[in-house]
Amino acid sequence: MYSKISVIFFALTLSAQAHDMTPAYPEFRPSYIVGVSKTKMHLFNKRNDANFFEISVYDEVWKSIPFASTNKIIEVRHTKKKSFDVYIKDEDLDRVTYICTKSKLLKQKNVPLIATEICSKVK
Amino acid sequence: MRTLTTITFLLSSACAWAVDSPISGDVSANCSIYTTTPGEYGNPNPYTLSTAAASGGSDPIVRVDIGSAGYWKTKFTYPNSFSSSPVLVDNLTFTGTVTVSSVSVASMSVYESNKVSVANTVTYDHTIAGSSWHKITSQVTYGSADNTAFPAGSYTALVTISCIAK
Repeated sequence: MYSKISVIFFALTLSAQAHDMTPAYPEFRPSYIVGVSKTKMHLFNKRNDANFFEISVYDEVWKSIPFASTNKIIEVRHTKKKSFDVYIKDEDLDRVTYICTKSKLLKQKNVPLIATEICSKVK
Repeated sequence: MRTLTTITFLLSSACAWAVDSPISGDVSANCSIYTTTPGEYGNPNPYTLSTAAASGGSDPIVRVDIGSAGYWKTKFTYPNSFSSSPVLVDNLTFTGTVTVSSVSVASMSVYESNKVSVANTVTYDHTIAGSSWHKITSQVTYGSADNTAFPAGSYTALVTISCIAK
């Protein structure tokens, strides 16, 4: 009986869900477009309650900086990895400090939802 | 015939290829946020919603894994408004806390004393590699005299946890 409960408890503790993004310190390099630089980021989604992540780019005081990517909200299914490029105008390169991804959640009843955000710092 | 078979077997086994199959991997200075317990509001009386177990709720617990020491800080923001609710005409009072509930390295106990709280945001400096578990509590009371019942409906509030490279 106790062993069954232990197994169920262990299975429940294994159901932890994670959001992970690398590299922690990305570097921008010139892209194929003149005057635009790019960097590649990798997102790993182990959250089974979140399939969409919003990309944001900020300066040192968390002011948004315009950027381009394939999509600003990307779909990453549970236990999948996705790479995405972030393009920045060269004139903004000195200001770019953080590249962030934030989970987008669906509404649920009477539950405090947990949004997770990872912010890498540009070198 | 038997000798020929033996020679053939020996030759074939001698010709077996040894192929290296390397498994490579990188360990980067990464931060992972695990939602170990999603949390739930209980409704202990008509004018209160609370995540406390005594109120029939469940406190959200989040695990933060830090790969390399000194590269990350985390910022926890507990709710100060509902992201969705029925129409509310009276005052709402949100309170909350964030505490370190467990650590994988004993020296991480300093995280709790070194945390910085500003309004509904708590910031931790992750100076030690390893895992730390953080418990978030949230309570909402409705009505300026604490006696107005919440209208029936669904209420959702958002806890945001950010891992920020230093």
